[in-house]
Amino acid sequence: MSETTKTAEAVQEQSFIAKAKEFVFTIPVNKVSIKDLRDFEKTPRNNFIAVLTLAFIAMFVVGVAIYLSQGHHAYNVTREHPWGLLIAVYIFFVVSSTGLCIVGSLGDVFGFKDYELIAKRAIFGSIVTILAGFAVIAFEIGHPVTMLIYNVLSPGLTSAIWWMGTLYGIYLTFMIIEFVFLLKNDMKMAKIFGLSGLLVGLAAHSNLGSVFGFLNARPISNGVFYPTYFILTAFITGIFIAFIIMGIRYKNVFPEAVKTMLTGLAKIQALLLSILIFFVTWKMLTDIYGGMPNRADVALHILGSWTFWAEVILAMLIPLIVILKDYGKSHVLLVWVSLAGMVGIFFMRYNLVHDTQLKPLQMMKIREYQLVPEWIHYFPSATEIMISLGGVGLCIAMYYVGSKVFNLDADH
Amino acid sequence: MSRYGMALDYKNCINCKACEVACKEENGVLLGADKHRIWVGANDVDGEWPLLDIVSATFMPSQCQQCEDAPCQSVCPTNATYYDENDVVRVDPDKCILCSYCMNACPYDARYVDDRTMTVDKCNFCSDTRLSRGDTTTACQNTCPTKVRTFGDLDDPESEISELLRTREHFSLKAHLGTKPKLYYLT
Repeated sequence: MSETTKTAEAVQEQSFIAKAKEFVFTIPVNKVSIKDLRDFEKTPRNNFIAVLTLAFIAMFVVGVAIYLSQGHHAYNVTREHPWGLLIAVYIFFVVSSTGLCIVGSLGDVFGFKDYELIAKRAIFGSIVTILAGFAVIAFEIGHPVTMLIYNVLSPGLTSAIWWMGTLYGIYLTFMIIEFVFLLKNDMKMAKIFGLSGLLVGLAAHSNLGSVFGFLNARPISNGVFYPTYFILTAFITGIFIAFIIMGIRYKNVFPEAVKTMLTGLAKIQALLLSILIFFVTWKMLTDIYGGMPNRADVALHILGSWTFWAEVILAMLIPLIVILKDYGKSHVLLVWVSLAGMVGIFFMRYNLVHDTQLKPLQMMKIREYQLVPEWIHYFPSATEIMISLGGVGLCIAMYYVGSKVFNLDADH
Repeated sequence: MSRYGMALDYKNCINCKACEVACKEENGVLLGADKHRIWVGANDVDGEWPLLDIVSATFMPSQCQQCEDAPCQSVCPTNATYYDENDVVRVDPDKCILCSYCMNACPYDARYVDDRTMTVDKCNFCSDTRLSRGDTTTACQNTCPTKVRTFGDLDDPESEISELLRTREHFSLKAHLGTKPKLYYLT
C-alpha cells in the first residue's frame, strides 16, 4: 500500500471520528447537578413518591446482596417451579417497553400527528423500562456473564430465549439511536430507527411469548396464543403507562392537545381491551372444553384463583367501563384507572408464569410418606419481592433523572 | 459411536431404591429430596387398612428419557445441553447459564440444579463416570436386585437390549409429545 493511500485513509478515519464526536456532543442535554435532582416541588405526593423510590432502590441493593451471598436459595423457586417472581417482573418490564415503543411509534413512525407529543417520552420510557427489566433478570439468570459469552460463541438457534434475548439487545440499541435522533429533532432518521426498533421489538416480544408457547410439556401454555397475546397486551400496557406519564407531566391538568391525544389513546385502548377480553374468554373456553387432561383442570384451577380475577377486573373490566362511560373523556380518572391497570398487568404476568408451572409433571409419589402431587405451590420470597420492587424503583429513578437531563416535551 | 438406550422391566421393581442410592453415590449427586437424577414413582395403594389391595401398588422407576428429539436440548439458549457421540443428552456446565428453561421444557421433570456448580444437571447414563472408565453398565442397572434395567447399544442387533425390544412389547412415557424417548418400558 502506498504512503498516499495510507495518509488518505488516516485522514478519512480521523474525519469519521471527528464527525462521530460532533454527533455525540451536539445531542441536546441539560447540565444537571445533584442539587437539581433534589429540586422538585415539595408536595406531599411528590415527597411520598421520592421516599418510596429511594426505599425501593435500597430494597434492590439489599435483595441483590442477599442473592449474591445465597444464590438461588434466596428465592422460593424449586425443581418443580423453576421460574418465579423475577421472571414475571422481567416480562412485566419488557412488555411495558414494547408497549411504550408502539405508542411512541404512532407519531414518529406512522405519522399520526396527535400522538407526536408523546413520542420522546414514550421512547425514553421504553428504554428505561427495558433497562429495569435487564437489571431484574440479571439476578435471576444464574450466570449472566456466561450468557453474554456463549450467546455469541454457541448460539442455540432453536431456543426462543436466545432469539428473545438477542433481539431485545438489538431493539434496545435501535431505541437509543431513535431517541437520540428525536432529541436532535431529525425526524427522518428517527422514523427509520423507530420502524426498525419497532419491528425488532415486536419480533423479540412475540419470541418471549413463544418461550411459553413452545412448551410441549405444558398444554396450558402450548400453542399460538401467547406469542400473539403478548403483542396485544404490550400495546394495552403502553397506553396505560402513557396515561400515567402524561398525568405526572401535567399534574393531571391537561392542555387541549394532550386531551385530544389522551381521548384518542383511550378509544384505541377500548378496542384493544375488547379484543383482549374476547381472546381470554375463548382461550379459557377452549382450554376447558372437552376436559383435556393437564389443560382443562389447570384452566379451572386458574378460574378459581383470585390473582386471575385481579387481572381481569383491574386490567380489563374497570378500564373498559370507564372509557366506554364517556368515550375516554375522563382523563384524570383514566390516569388513576391506568395505575390500577398496571397492577392488573402485573398479575397478568405473574399468572402467566405461575399458571404455566401449576401442574406437576410427575404425578406419582417419589418419596416415602409423600402425598400424591396435586398442584405446585409457590409464593415469592422476601428477596424476590425486594429485587422486584427495586426494579420499579430503578425505573422511576431513571425516568426522573431522564426528565431532568433531556427535554422530553415535544418541540413546537 | 453407539446409540445408548435402556429397557425397564418395571413390573419387577420392588421399590427398594437401591438404584437411587447407587446413582447418588456413583455420580456424586448431592443429598436432598429434590436432588436426584433417577427416582421410583409409586402409585397409592387402593383400599383402607387392613383391607389393602396390594396388587394396586405399582412402581415406575424413571429418569431422563434420553429423548432423540429432546425438548430440553432445543430450548437451551447456549447449547449447553447437547447430544454426545453416543446420542446421550448431556449438559456442559461451562456453558449453562441457569436460565432454567430446560427444567420447564422437560416433560419428565428429569432436571435439577446442582448446587455445587449452580448449573442444571441430569442423568447422562453414567457417561462421565462408569462409561468413561470402560464399564458397560450404569450404576442403577448394576445395583438392581431384580434386574429391572437393561442398558445397551440400540444400534447393535446383538445387544441384550435390542433382543429384549425385539421380543417384548414395550411403551415409552408421554410418547405423544414426539420426544422419541430411548427409555423403553417392557410389558
